[in-house]
Amino acid sequence: MNLFKISIANLKEKKLNSFLSALLLTLGIGMISLLLLLNKQLDEQFKRNLKGIDMVVGAKGSPLQVILSSIYQIDAPTGNIPLAEVNALRKNPFVKTVIPLSMGDNYQGFRILGTTPKYVEHFSAKLAEGHLYNASMEVTIGSKVARDSKLKIGDQFSGSHGLDSEGEKHEDKKYKVVGIFQPSGTVVDQLIITRLSSVWDIHAHSEGANVPAVAEVEHSDNQTHVDPEPDEEGKEVTSALIQFRNPMGLITIPRQINDNTSMQAALPSIEINRLFSLLGVGIETLRTLALIIISIAGVSVFISLYNSLKDRKYEMALMLSMGATRTRLFLMLLIEGLSLAVIGFFAGIIASRVGLWVFSQSAEQDFHYSLGKFALLPEEIYLFFGALAIGVVAAALPSLGIYRLNISRTLAEE
Amino acid sequence: MISSNQLRFSYSAQKKFSFPDIHCNDKETLLILGQSGKGKTTLLHLLALLLTPEAGDVVIAGKSVKNLTPQEITATRAKNIGIIYQRPHFVSSLSVMDNILLSNYLANQREDRQKARHLAEQLGFVDHLSKKTNQLSQGEQQRVSIARSLMNNPNIILADEPTSNLDDDNCQRVIQLLKKQSAQIGASLVVVTHDQRLKDEFSNQVFL
Repeated sequence: MNLFKISIANLKEKKLNSFLSALLLTLGIGMISLLLLLNKQLDEQFKRNLKGIDMVVGAKGSPLQVILSSIYQIDAPTGNIPLAEVNALRKNPFVKTVIPLSMGDNYQGFRILGTTPKYVEHFSAKLAEGHLYNASMEVTIGSKVARDSKLKIGDQFSGSHGLDSEGEKHEDKKYKVVGIFQPSGTVVDQLIITRLSSVWDIHAHSEGANVPAVAEVEHSDNQTHVDPEPDEEGKEVTSALIQFRNPMGLITIPRQINDNTSMQAALPSIEINRLFSLLGVGIETLRTLALIIISIAGVSVFISLYNSLKDRKYEMALMLSMGATRTRLFLMLLIEGLSLAVIGFFAGIIASRVGLWVFSQSAEQDFHYSLGKFALLPEEIYLFFGALAIGVVAAALPSLGIYRLNISRTLAEE
Repeated sequence: MISSNQLRFSYSAQKKFSFPDIHCNDKETLLILGQSGKGKTTLLHLLALLLTPEAGDVVIAGKSVKNLTPQEITATRAKNIGIIYQRPHFVSSLSVMDNILLSNYLANQREDRQKARHLAEQLGFVDHLSKKTNQLSQGEQQRVSIARSLMNNPNIILADEPTSNLDDDNCQRVIQLLKKQSAQIGASLVVVTHDQRLKDEFSNQVFL
């Protein structure tokens, strides 16, 4: 026999009341914990892919769209820009690197991205097997692409036009897989990367009848054979990622581009902050809602203990007459509130993980991003103490009545 | 052994009680008879140290309780007095067994399961030990509360109308068990009641 045992027995005696209190706490804690998890993981995903990219140039349109499509590969591009204008940026002394991107096709929903080797270098993607694409129509695929599409080295496939898998197929020209990247946790995992020229080749309407199924290009193991800086007249790309040599570039170049070229410059830091402040409204609302639910949970614990204390007044007087001290009974009631808080907290943490898993599944399906990190966050430790505090306060307020209980009158009344 | 000396108590200026002195030695029994409103329960609560008298004194096991602190009073009650109430009340969430053991636990004594089982056998509810108390009949519940009052081997057993809610059969049974059990542990048994059926069961009687 101990206080804990009596408390748990009391909770079990009022199953529905206890369930309601624990459920409300579970909901509140679960929501806050899910928000924390999502916030952290989205933040990480966005930051990781953003690193080192100071500016993106693309066709005029929504700057946020340019950022989302070029860096995160989750929105449609705004249009095309001339490669010549992109390459002209290289001459600017403030510009360190220019990585042109060309997209427009996909395979089973995974985007096929034409770019220069700088792109792979920038994300420090390492090869797991095979080698980096070399020639036109050769591709190196990300780890997630390899896993989900079951493509292996040596496999050939034809891309579909557009960015979703429903597009018309380019049956006549097939890509060939020559390498697979190691998982890096970046956007590279979900991309099929090839030369810029592959994208041009596939969309060039060749009149010739005898186009080979796979472009016959001389094979070489030496990667330096890849044109590092392609510059072809009249060619277009979708966008380009720019790195500056020093922050001065940020001040002058975007305006120059927006004023003097057919392109627009989008600054990821600004756009992503804008995106997060837009999302922030929703997150703030959900957080407020979660806090309200937690407060209601506290009130529910309070009411259920208050009521049960009224019903159990005689029990309390009885235990006092049998030698219990008031402090001991007060502790017993406190443990009831604390147990509910602890149950609510852990159920909430589990619920948030389940929620994250569900969310991750749909994010994976729609954007190929996975958010599968289920470890306990440091903020959740604070959440734990917050839940305990609510349990203590909600249990202590009604339980203080123990100190005012008149034993003799209570025992005589019934 | 329990005795009282010129006990007085008042709830208000109009509602005053002064009680006759009582005395009950170890192994003896005492019946306090009185009609409703005569202060039977008040007297029992005074004897059980649940109320503090305005004047007078209670002597328990040869010791006056007059100048004890509330903590000492609680400890004295838990150790020396077993109380049986008119309507048996229990901690409803606990089993019959745990309710009996509760008196050990709350008096800071070792929990004696064997004793609880032994008492249950003698009082005839050994089959109900794992049930909840509200699954038992009134007569059974009253027997459980007798067992509970005996767990700490008290010096005194106080019973407040232990039979008033029981039929004749159960009344006889409960009172015989009470007498037998208190005699076994050598305790004083004080029964407060208006139940005339008990008149012939006790030789020492006090009328309020």
